[in-house]
Amino acid sequence: MSAQPHILVIDDEPQILRALRTILTEKQFRVTTASRGEEGLALAAANPPDVVILDLGLPDIDGIEVCARLREWTQIPIIVLSVRDREQDKVAALDKGADDYLTKPFAVQELLARVRVALRHLTQAKGSPKIVVTAGPVAIDLTRHIVARERVEVKLTATEFNLLAYLATNAGRLLTHESILTHVWGPEAAGRTEYLRVFIGQLRKKLEANPRRPRMILNEPGIGYRFVADD
Amino acid sequence: MRRRYPPSSALAQYLLALLATALITALLIIVQDNLSTPIIALLYLLPVVLSTSLWGLGPGIASALIAFLFFNFFFIPPLYTFTVHQTRDVLVLVVFLLVAVFISQILGRARASAAAATAREREVTRLYELSTALAGQHDQHTITRIIAEHALEAFQATRVELTLEGQEGERVSSVRTPESALPSSASPLHQFPLQTARGLQGELRLWREQAPLTPAEDRLLRTFATQGALALERAHLVQAETRAKILEESDRLKSALLSSVSHELRSPLAAIKAGITSLSDREVYWDSPAGTDLLSVVEEEVDHLNRLVGNLLDMSRIESGALKPKRQWNVLVDIFDSALERMYRAAEAYRIEIDLRDDLPLVPVDAAQLEQVFTNLVSNSLKYAPPGSVISIGACPQDDQTLLVEVRNQGPPIAEEHLERVFDKFYRVTAADRVTGTWLGLSICKGIIEAHGGRIWAENRPDGLAFKFTLPLTWDGAQPATLPPTAPDQPESP
Repeated sequence: MSAQPHILVIDDEPQILRALRTILTEKQFRVTTASRGEEGLALAAANPPDVVILDLGLPDIDGIEVCARLREWTQIPIIVLSVRDREQDKVAALDKGADDYLTKPFAVQELLARVRVALRHLTQAKGSPKIVVTAGPVAIDLTRHIVARERVEVKLTATEFNLLAYLATNAGRLLTHESILTHVWGPEAAGRTEYLRVFIGQLRKKLEANPRRPRMILNEPGIGYRFVADD
Repeated sequence: MRRRYPPSSALAQYLLALLATALITALLIIVQDNLSTPIIALLYLLPVVLSTSLWGLGPGIASALIAFLFFNFFFIPPLYTFTVHQTRDVLVLVVFLLVAVFISQILGRARASAAAATAREREVTRLYELSTALAGQHDQHTITRIIAEHALEAFQATRVELTLEGQEGERVSSVRTPESALPSSASPLHQFPLQTARGLQGELRLWREQAPLTPAEDRLLRTFATQGALALERAHLVQAETRAKILEESDRLKSALLSSVSHELRSPLAAIKAGITSLSDREVYWDSPAGTDLLSVVEEEVDHLNRLVGNLLDMSRIESGALKPKRQWNVLVDIFDSALERMYRAAEAYRIEIDLRDDLPLVPVDAAQLEQVFTNLVSNSLKYAPPGSVISIGACPQDDQTLLVEVRNQGPPIAEEHLERVFDKFYRVTAADRVTGTWLGLSICKGIIEAHGGRIWAENRPDGLAFKFTLPLTWDGAQPATLPPTAPDQPESP
């Protein structure tokens, strides 16, 4: 990765491209833009970016397909930026390999935060994985299987730890219910959101300062959960 | 109608007439010593009158003839022969026969006309009952059912079928009484078309086991068919009128929508435009307190505009039936918390009280849609209840199937007659310019809750207003699964 991270923006709305180019360039990113799906795929292949910001409603092919075709050969982070606000659209994009989803209209701070998370995962994927993830008072040691809150160890069951570890290794990312269920419980548990509710509730009780206003494991209603770690 | 006067068979009636005559003959033979021939003739009129009035003209005449023969045989000398010697006796016999036949005829006719009058009266009663039953009916199916039931009873039919056909000959409605009767392969005894000004509407078919319809019954059944056709025509006209009214109403709503939408959308746009132009023209400097204030106005108005567009979109999804809840098992309080999280700033001036037990069962709902219900209900409360007041949420299971959820505020009460209508589109209780953006919010709640199979309503409370709604606790009749099938709760290898 060069000093300036490279972002490819695929969106058919000229004003959005204009605004994003201005903002991202101002934030010291190198920006390439495409207004059609095929064009975006070609650009990504010719000059692989560090992050892709992708609109779904493209004139030639649907953004979800762009997602799937990118995933055939690369793991570069994809952040979907779309006016489609229905949960099934979000889940479909995430299932096809998108890393995050932001609906238009969006706040720039939010977009920048998601881009930073994406870049961080990229460096981690290239370098050594993080051993200890911290989120406020909570520290999770992924190799030694120890979780501490305010430096006091918290006893977790194996399932609770597996769940927490999966969330923490994907800190900042939006994880769908399905992906969590299949990773932690196995493919046969797909669709059993009720397990997830129970275990997330237990984790929050053990780890959050106020389980009713979680700061570490956040709900994304109808989609999944997002783990918020310290930077 | 004859069968109402037993005995029913004609042969039996004739036999009875004979019997009556024989009986009187026997009596007369016993007491004949005290009687003169004219008295006997007079007494012989008794069975004739009796037979005619009880069993009709035929048996009456028969009785008269038999009486004539018996009279001749037993009482006119020479006895026990049918010969007559004296002219006087011939005269008595002939006069007797004439009088007897004459009386039978008169009586018979009177009886027949009485029977006809009764039949007509019954016919009129049937028609009256039918038209009373049909009065005020506007539903095709009800009308056909009424006609079929009345016809079944009036004609002692075994089965009546009534089918209505639409413009393209498709079957609109079909009624069979009694409902248990199987569609018979036998062809119906009678069938009549239901003819209206718009052409053939259908057909009435009637089966019965006894004799075919008499001309009077046939006439009555035709009248039934005509009455039915008239009632159907009337129902059609009423429906057409209702449709026209609905169209008119929807036109009115549409223009209300357009003017309301353009007003609601333009107001935030005006604020945004004013803010941005004053900043870009350096009327106000970006980094001055006024500039910061303007920027936050712009941001708030953009969010407001976004919510309005979202509401319009949701409303159109609800109306087109595209709003299908994607159910999952959810924790109710999580949904409420995330709704509150998003309105955190707006709700700061209020006290939010959450009265939800920890052991509340999971609910099979679309979390995003339910979050919107909470957002809309709370934001409605924020708009109408005074700052500093309490907004609270509570929930308790009504039974195994249903959860009752309440969002209460301390806002002003709503007049009873408006309580239903607050969930209507574009309905606003207070003056339009006082509070913005309320339209659609509550009707979207209604759409979402109803799509979940629940019900939503508003109630006045002593200290404010409560929105109440119900949610299912079962999903396809099932409760949530409790534990993973293969509990992998064992230390896993690193």
